[in-house]
Amino acid sequence: MRMKKAGLAVSIGLLAFTAACSSGGNTTENSPANNPPEKPVEGTDNKPQETGKKVKLSYWTGDRHDQEYITEVIKSFNASNADNIEVELVVKTDDFNQAIDLAFASGQAPDLIRVKENTIQPWVKKGYLEPIDGFLTDELKAKFPVIPDFNQIEGKIYSLPNYGSTLRLVYNKDLFAKAGVAAPPKTLDELVETAKKLTEAGKAEGAYGFALNFKSTQSAMFRSARVIAEANGDGGFGYDFKTARYDWSSYKPIIEAFKKMVDDGSTMPGMESLDIDPLRAQFAEGKIGMYISFSSEPGVYQNQFPAKIDWAAAPVPTTDGQVHGKTSFTGGQWLAINAQSKNKEAAWKFMQYMYGDDILKTYQEKGFGLSMVPSITASAAKPSINGIEGFMPTENDGTWPLDPTSAIKVEGIMATDAFFKYMLSGGNLDEIVNDLNKRYNDALDQAIAAGEVTAEPDPAFDPMTLK
Amino acid sequence: MIRLRQTGFSYLFLLPSFLLTAVLGIYPIGWAIWYMFFDYKGYGTASFVGLDNFDRLLRDTLFWDTVVNTFVYAGGKLLITIPLALVLAVILNRSFRGRSALRAIVFLPTIISSAVMAVVFYMLFNSYNGLLNQYLLKLHLIPERIDWLGPDHAMLTAIMIAVWGAIGNYMLLFLAGLQNIPQDIYESSSLDGASRWQQFWYLTVPMLGPVLQMVIMLAIINSLKGYESIMVLTDGGPIGKTEVMYLYVYKLFFPTPSASFTADQQFGYGSAVGFATAVIVGLVTIVYHLLSRRLNQLQ
Repeated sequence: MRMKKAGLAVSIGLLAFTAACSSGGNTTENSPANNPPEKPVEGTDNKPQETGKKVKLSYWTGDRHDQEYITEVIKSFNASNADNIEVELVVKTDDFNQAIDLAFASGQAPDLIRVKENTIQPWVKKGYLEPIDGFLTDELKAKFPVIPDFNQIEGKIYSLPNYGSTLRLVYNKDLFAKAGVAAPPKTLDELVETAKKLTEAGKAEGAYGFALNFKSTQSAMFRSARVIAEANGDGGFGYDFKTARYDWSSYKPIIEAFKKMVDDGSTMPGMESLDIDPLRAQFAEGKIGMYISFSSEPGVYQNQFPAKIDWAAAPVPTTDGQVHGKTSFTGGQWLAINAQSKNKEAAWKFMQYMYGDDILKTYQEKGFGLSMVPSITASAAKPSINGIEGFMPTENDGTWPLDPTSAIKVEGIMATDAFFKYMLSGGNLDEIVNDLNKRYNDALDQAIAAGEVTAEPDPAFDPMTLK
Repeated sequence: MIRLRQTGFSYLFLLPSFLLTAVLGIYPIGWAIWYMFFDYKGYGTASFVGLDNFDRLLRDTLFWDTVVNTFVYAGGKLLITIPLALVLAVILNRSFRGRSALRAIVFLPTIISSAVMAVVFYMLFNSYNGLLNQYLLKLHLIPERIDWLGPDHAMLTAIMIAVWGAIGNYMLLFLAGLQNIPQDIYESSSLDGASRWQQFWYLTVPMLGPVLQMVIMLAIINSLKGYESIMVLTDGGPIGKTEVMYLYVYKLFFPTPSASFTADQQFGYGSAVGFATAVIVGLVTIVYHLLSRRLNQLQ
């Protein structure tokens, strides 16, 4: 009897285990690794015009700031294209990357996917994306810049650039005026001091000086501390391109400043469970003095959360007030074609339409993003959207090379979590940095030994000469 | 011949369930057990690493923190849910006006998606504009906003939400058990002068023994496995205070992307951690069975 009970308990445990692992199981079963994508595109697909049948395509994106415009664009494509193609737009935000993984695992992936600078590499490795070299004409090749690692991977092009994103300090001008602060902070000390003044001026109405979306520490730190580090000359998310080693000590003054704001009570209560959209909703209501984010914000405050306050964007502060490195102008990719799609030619036709001059120009002019296509930048009018001025690319914006963080397997607590833990509960920051350096460099060494990554020191690396 | 035909039919009837179990149960378990010994990112080739994943597991303080968190979460949820569900079941087993409506209200949270529930609770509990803080402040019950989802209170909040979601289910199971207890026992004990409390403690609880044993076991397993509402509410944060075992396993299989990079899926290590969590849940269940044998004999 006892054995039976023990057996029952073990069975139940195993069932629990199954629940945890079953989705992973499906993933492998259907993963492109097991079903390698068929080779290129030319002439291998169904031709919609020959069959006369409606070709239905689905396009998944994580962008919501441009949803209204893209919906219109797609509607117009569906109504006007001569190939009987109908595109369905699916917008997913917070869980976009997981949704893509799950869709590929279950064989229900969309024909076209919005790829970003942080997803194009892993999705190419996973075999999700189709190279588009076979489709590209000389004219298109000349028009769209090739950015190694960001749209061209191992010699093959997977996407084309539309817009790029700059990173800035976003600030509430009304609260600044109320607190008597004339200009956005230029140094980290000023950032701490300004946050304190803004909180003193706004706390009675529930407004606080500073906030970030710390529900995901990575999302929060990599849109804030990361760009301050870049402006300090220390880009690469802790990776030093000069030495080809990780050195997180460059983040110390930034994390100390963030901690000071938490200790001063200048940060929004509940910041630790805040996602980016609830944060934006609070900023639009005037409850947040400053935060740091991408140039998609003007579109957000125009459409998604209409701002009830006067706001602007400014370059992020640095430790000493001087700019020692260019801040990220991220991008280089937009749409990509699913390697498993049965309608690649139709997908390319839609992609070509989306990359048409009119759409790209309007995209910039409506302020959804800052074009990375030289011919569009030259011909499009200045974006007509509030708040975009501060985000316009300057000589201090550039594209940093790809750091190896995505390709290494770090054991234990991630840098962003360790830093946030320090911000909330204190500790010895030197010890935290030493521990991070050791674990990140160990992981880097292992990845180099396994041939998964190369890391060559570049003593002449100059963060002010990035393109 | 007849016997052979009968056996054949038996196997034929068993076939569908066997196939389902094989495909949905045995295959994934076998898959995960196989990959526990590999390093596999979901693409490229899987490389055999022997016991490296288990070596890492032993050193992985993050995982062991999630084990502690899981026990706090499950323990807290059980300690509140089981007594409360039992008391509610006893009350709602009596006949009074509005009983069915009350039963339905208590049961309602069970049929609401835990993710939806967590979104609603986020609106109630978040400290910057949550309704709970606003009412408590208006009633002057708290001097300033409480950070319900902050490092000090997030686990308590997660437990309260879990209790709210689970209580109706266990109440229903207790109700079913209560309705099997013959009424004449209560009548005769009343004649002997037993008070309501004595009836509850000396009659109801022992008569519910086997049901209690089963309900508590289900509750233990569910509590140890629960992570959906936590994922939506706090995503394991802040600073890992509500990160439970199954959420940790989920994140190894489906890592949270950041603004800068997407971490690789870790099927090998995720399988090893998944196996360890299953062993932990299994061990707890066995220990509970051994300790709860008396409950089964109470009746």
